[in-house]
Amino acid sequence: MPATTKTNKQLFVNGLLNENPIFRLALSMCPAVGISTTVMNGILLGVAVLFVQVFSSCTISLIKHHIHPRIRIPTYTLTIATWVTVIDLVLAAYVPAAYEAMGIFVRLIVAFAIITMRLEVFACKNDLVPSFWDGMGMGFGFMFGMVVLGAIREILGMGALLGYDILGFRPMLFFVLPAAGFFMIGFMMAIFNYVETLYNRGRKERKAI
Amino acid sequence: MKEIVKIAMALTISCLVAGSVMGGVFMVTAEAKKRNQQQNRQETMFELIAPELPGRSDRAAENLSLHSIYRYIIQDNDRTDLGYLAPVEQEAGVVYEMWVLDLEGNLIDRRRLGLSPETAMEKPDRDAAVTAALGPGQQARYADTMIIAAANGERIAYLLPGEFSGFKTFIHVMAALDADFNLLGLEIMDHEEDPGLGGEIEKPYFKNQFKGKSLEQLRDLDVIKEPLPDDYRHFLEKTAAREDLVRIGKAYQDEDIHAIAGATISSRCVTDGLKRMVKKSVYRIKILDRVISKNHIPAAM
Repeated sequence: MPATTKTNKQLFVNGLLNENPIFRLALSMCPAVGISTTVMNGILLGVAVLFVQVFSSCTISLIKHHIHPRIRIPTYTLTIATWVTVIDLVLAAYVPAAYEAMGIFVRLIVAFAIITMRLEVFACKNDLVPSFWDGMGMGFGFMFGMVVLGAIREILGMGALLGYDILGFRPMLFFVLPAAGFFMIGFMMAIFNYVETLYNRGRKERKAI
Repeated sequence: MKEIVKIAMALTISCLVAGSVMGGVFMVTAEAKKRNQQQNRQETMFELIAPELPGRSDRAAENLSLHSIYRYIIQDNDRTDLGYLAPVEQEAGVVYEMWVLDLEGNLIDRRRLGLSPETAMEKPDRDAAVTAALGPGQQARYADTMIIAAANGERIAYLLPGEFSGFKTFIHVMAALDADFNLLGLEIMDHEEDPGLGGEIEKPYFKNQFKGKSLEQLRDLDVIKEPLPDDYRHFLEKTAAREDLVRIGKAYQDEDIHAIAGATISSRCVTDGLKRMVKKSVYRIKILDRVISKNHIPAAM
């Protein structure tokens, strides 16, 4: 992929919809399946990924000319690990309340495919500003996916939303178990693909007219 | 060849840069992190002993005092002894002594350390004092800490900080026992289990299941893979109606531990770890009490 020609806004929306990390790129599926049991988990992991993604994308786009092409991936991993450690330490020291909630999520991130992949296909070929917006788009796209999955699973599995009891009973406990994560993601991917097909067909017809 | 050298150089430099960034941040934040952890620990301890008391000032008024007992393992060639650092009343105030016990629990020696309770809390100072008090050829290794809480001279609780292996890495916990060794509560201090699965061990619906179990019950406590009944869950999460609390508590008094869905291993690790921890600590407390009464030591605890 050569340097991008998209505007910042397009980059951001691209991460949210066209290339949504969970539903379109199908990356970082382990956390998406395992952790999206509640909306809160989704938000916390989403925030953690957002920060690490943006910081790592910016760093890589700044030093892209100095990276030896044959050790790209180790360098990316190192960058991500550094940012994860820094965020972990800073949160623990200065925002203990946030650390208590987010600590375990932040430490999970080092091995996330989505971040490495974004550094490889985007940040190492583009300048700082587009990389920043791509990181924002991917981070928010991931958060969006996690929150949608979390909301559906929390409502169906526990009859609650954000921890507040809404339905008063639990329709299908199965949905909080890890296996249900696969079903949910499968359904969501199908919906995304269906909407895209409809949209493309509509556009073709508009063109024909 | 030249290429390889270049790659190795580049990788070394990136690692050095990354390492120094992490090291720098660690140095800047270490102090604050330690302070937070200590404060967190303090609050957890007070909450475990006296959950009904809201403010710190009330607790101070209650004349609550915490005495730490540090355990060291002393190696002398093939011989292993235990060194318990415990507070002793003296005219000048409370000072720490080291009681050297053999493995059967007989007191061999009492050694002055000249540590005040405040300096004993700092591990480097404590280690130095222990090393100075050892005989030639002996080596001491810090093992663990146990905290005795007393109010108005009466022992009210034992606080047991501990760690055991979980599904991924170590789980650090703090358990509290009352004077008769019934479990007052369990708090998970630090862990790296997976969020949403093993990470649920820190949720009230799991950790509060241990609350109120007696020593006998704890001995053969089992982990069962059955869904948590709804009224029990409300009881554990403290959302049950006030008038139902006693009834539900009684109904589930003998209940085994319900494993977390999708995290049986983590649940089992906590249960077994806690069982081991409590069993050993109770054994040690009894030995120490015997030593104190047999040798008429004016212990401040």
